[in-house]
Amino acid sequence: MSDAWIYTRDAGDASWAAKLLAELGFSPRRVRANGTLRPGDADGAPARRPDVALVLDDEGDVCARLRLDDELCHVPVILGVSADELNGGGAVLDAHELLVAPFTAAELEARIARARRQVNGVEHGDVVRVGSLEVNLATYQVTLDRRPIDFTYMEYELLKFLVTHPGRVFSREALLSGVWGYDYYGGARTVDVHVRRVRAKLGQEHAARIQTVRSVGYRFDK
Amino acid sequence: MGHDETYVLRTVEERGVRFVRLWFVDVLGLPKSFAVPAGELEAALDEGIGLDGSALEGFARARERDVIAHPDPRSFQVLPWRDEVVARMFCDIRLPDGAAFPVDSRQALRRALDGAADLGLTLQVGCEVEFFLFAEPAADDDLGAVPRTLDRGAYFDLTPQDVGSDFRRRTIDLLERMGIPVKASHHENAPSQHEIHLKHTDALSMADALTTFRMAVRQVARELGVYATFMPKPLDGVPGSGLHAHFSLFDGDRNVFFASDAKEPLSEPGRRFLAGVLAHAGEMTAVTNQWVNSYKRLATGMEAPERASWTRHGRSGLVRVPAGRPGKEEAARIELRSPDPACNPYLVFALVLAAGLRGIERGYQLGAEDLEDGGPHEAMPLPEDLRIATELFDRSELARETLGDRLCDWYVSNKRAEWEAYRTTVTEYERRRYLALL
Repeated sequence: MSDAWIYTRDAGDASWAAKLLAELGFSPRRVRANGTLRPGDADGAPARRPDVALVLDDEGDVCARLRLDDELCHVPVILGVSADELNGGGAVLDAHELLVAPFTAAELEARIARARRQVNGVEHGDVVRVGSLEVNLATYQVTLDRRPIDFTYMEYELLKFLVTHPGRVFSREALLSGVWGYDYYGGARTVDVHVRRVRAKLGQEHAARIQTVRSVGYRFDK
Repeated sequence: MGHDETYVLRTVEERGVRFVRLWFVDVLGLPKSFAVPAGELEAALDEGIGLDGSALEGFARARERDVIAHPDPRSFQVLPWRDEVVARMFCDIRLPDGAAFPVDSRQALRRALDGAADLGLTLQVGCEVEFFLFAEPAADDDLGAVPRTLDRGAYFDLTPQDVGSDFRRRTIDLLERMGIPVKASHHENAPSQHEIHLKHTDALSMADALTTFRMAVRQVARELGVYATFMPKPLDGVPGSGLHAHFSLFDGDRNVFFASDAKEPLSEPGRRFLAGVLAHAGEMTAVTNQWVNSYKRLATGMEAPERASWTRHGRSGLVRVPAGRPGKEEAARIELRSPDPACNPYLVFALVLAAGLRGIERGYQLGAEDLEDGGPHEAMPLPEDLRIATELFDRSELARETLGDRLCDWYVSNKRAEWEAYRTTVTEYERRRYLALL
């Protein structure tokens, strides 16, 4: 399941964007753009790193601050602006993709796909292919040589995170916050244990794609 | 609905899962399962499913009790059994008002782990599990007879080596497909005996993995036309089956047991943890060794411990402390050698953790290493049989504090009933020895 965070002060904009994103299969959450970069936890759910950020209101330099945030710097950012805001300012350069209002759901979908590919190197659509390994982000199904591999939810989330950020080294802490959520207390050992399980399920040929980077963390090799 | 629940429902649909088996264990650790059709899964995730809680009370059941099984969506796993696509989820058993059902040992372990987590500590466990593969008895009523080992019999067309290696390959494959990383070896100590190592993970996952493991091993054995048993001591004259459990304690990324001083086998808190485990070993034995038969394994030695001692190089200490390797902080651990694979791992892990933490909190001092050189040692002998072990457990304030009175009472009444049944049975041994003589 993919999270999308919407940054805006305007409640009307927020609910309209949330509806569009939900139709595209995201779980939308609103961030109030009042100085914080993370959604409030009014609904109690721990905030995981989102798969995409839609900034409809750059109040407080949200786009620039997302780029500088240790945990959120790799989140694809789409900035929605009106035509008269297109003056080449900072936010326009800091976001990965631009949407000029008014825009359609189809355009939003295309911009999200472009931003994700730019940041994550994800192939078109929702299917990530690495050799004979295929991860379908829409159906949560993973196949190897066309045979299904059955992951638990957290194993799947970890694998998804790694395959959509190939070639990049993540510390255990970064994986914990990105996959489990910021307030997970299980400790960094959790990451090692899950990596071992995912490797066991991938089998010998693909297990080596999840590289241990000594005293740093893990990297997924394409 | 949470992401994890969405994941479960979508996977059930995509994979064509028709039934999801909801798993829990009774107070003895024996697996229980009931199936929920895919169409009713969403409601089951939402509200849980009602069942009769006396199913958790082992063999000493009393009246029916209404309890609710709440499946844990994060434990959802499609099972790699042949022929049909089924999945499992572990359950928490709760009372209708939402409180934990006191006899649910999985929640008892989680309470113990949560207590440690409040101190910033997590318990990691790795296990070496031994078991036997035997030829299928000709008929059910042959179960009392001495089982036929595979290594010697000509029962199969395949040579014994073929059955063993087929079995190991298939078991490893199944376990790895269920996310249980393993290392297997054929055991040379007894004919037909096998050993599989489950790599270390957090204690709750390990207890779940052992429960899954016992089912997977039986499943593979059935497929190959043999049967597997985790009975602690099935044969005379050869070693029984143990469950050697390797424990380490982590504070974040730091292994609490690791001694920076290479001359010490364990750090100061590590030595205290070990002292706690040894000091409370007697009262824990009813849980590490819960069957009448468990004591036959302990009594005959052959690498099974008889007293609450610790050692670095010996073969019969209750706890072995593997030699520390400089720079290998992660590997620092203690190996508890008393449990057998027919234990309830949830209760064993909860008690070991509680005993060790008590050792740290109260500053227990570790006694001298048992050098197993034939010299005298002070270590307390382990209980000789289930009756003595049960009485020690019943009086254990540590067990009652950790597991709760209700669970302990149920456990004790089960064990007393088992001892009573054994005590009043005339055995093969007696007939063979006395019938003609007396």
